[in-house]
Amino acid sequence: MSVTETVLIFVVIPAAIVLVIAGLAYAGGGRRTSKRYRPGRPFEFTPVWFVAAPEQLSVATGSAELTAGPHREAITGASEAPAVQRPERERVLQGMTGGASDRW
Amino acid sequence: MTAGEITTHDSASSRPPRRPEVLDGPFTTRQLLRLDQALRVADRSTGLTFSVYVGELDEPVRDHAEKLLMQLADPASSVLIAVSPNQRVLEIVTGPKARVRLPDRDCKLAALSMAAAFGGGDLAGGIVNGLAQLADHARRA
Repeated sequence: MSVTETVLIFVVIPAAIVLVIAGLAYAGGGRRTSKRYRPGRPFEFTPVWFVAAPEQLSVATGSAELTAGPHREAITGASEAPAVQRPERERVLQGMTGGASDRW
Repeated sequence: MTAGEITTHDSASSRPPRRPEVLDGPFTTRQLLRLDQALRVADRSTGLTFSVYVGELDEPVRDHAEKLLMQLADPASSVLIAVSPNQRVLEIVTGPKARVRLPDRDCKLAALSMAAAFGGGDLAGGIVNGLAQLADHARRA
């Protein structure tokens, strides 16, 4: 085997394979990492609101409903203003709600 | 072809292909499926309405979360989990009827474990576990 052949088989071909795999990894991996939430770093996303049964959402809100799958409805968080249309209901429930808060 | 047909065709072609807006949200498709499953199991096993909001909350955060709860069809027996990753705030709001079955102490317990998961950067996992925990407490009450 001549020197040229040796170099071709043991250097050029492995280098080409490494480059192809590195290129594929670089091209495919970029998008997924941006989706990850890391505490303390700004995290850009559209607000989402999930309810298991979409009919449970009151009609009066007029929120834009988005179908994302056969069983899912999500509502963008931007449309919250119409809640004031039901002051009487809000007054009844004011101060009676429970729950908990936390920070991290 | 009538004029009406032309206009409908034009408006349809100018619109980009519809992509569900939830995919711009904080979760991947697999996480959305897990979340959906957790919500349905929680609803079915307790009879309460669980709902999850992930996004910015206006100050005061508690009032905003309560307003969101009021927008549900039956706020009295609903439970809202509001998470704001950027403000690092978590609020669990229970309606008066739901509060009877889900005391504030149990909510606080679920909130602690959820906040621990969020602190590690696991939004979907924290929400799914929190939902399971809340549903478990409500079922036993």
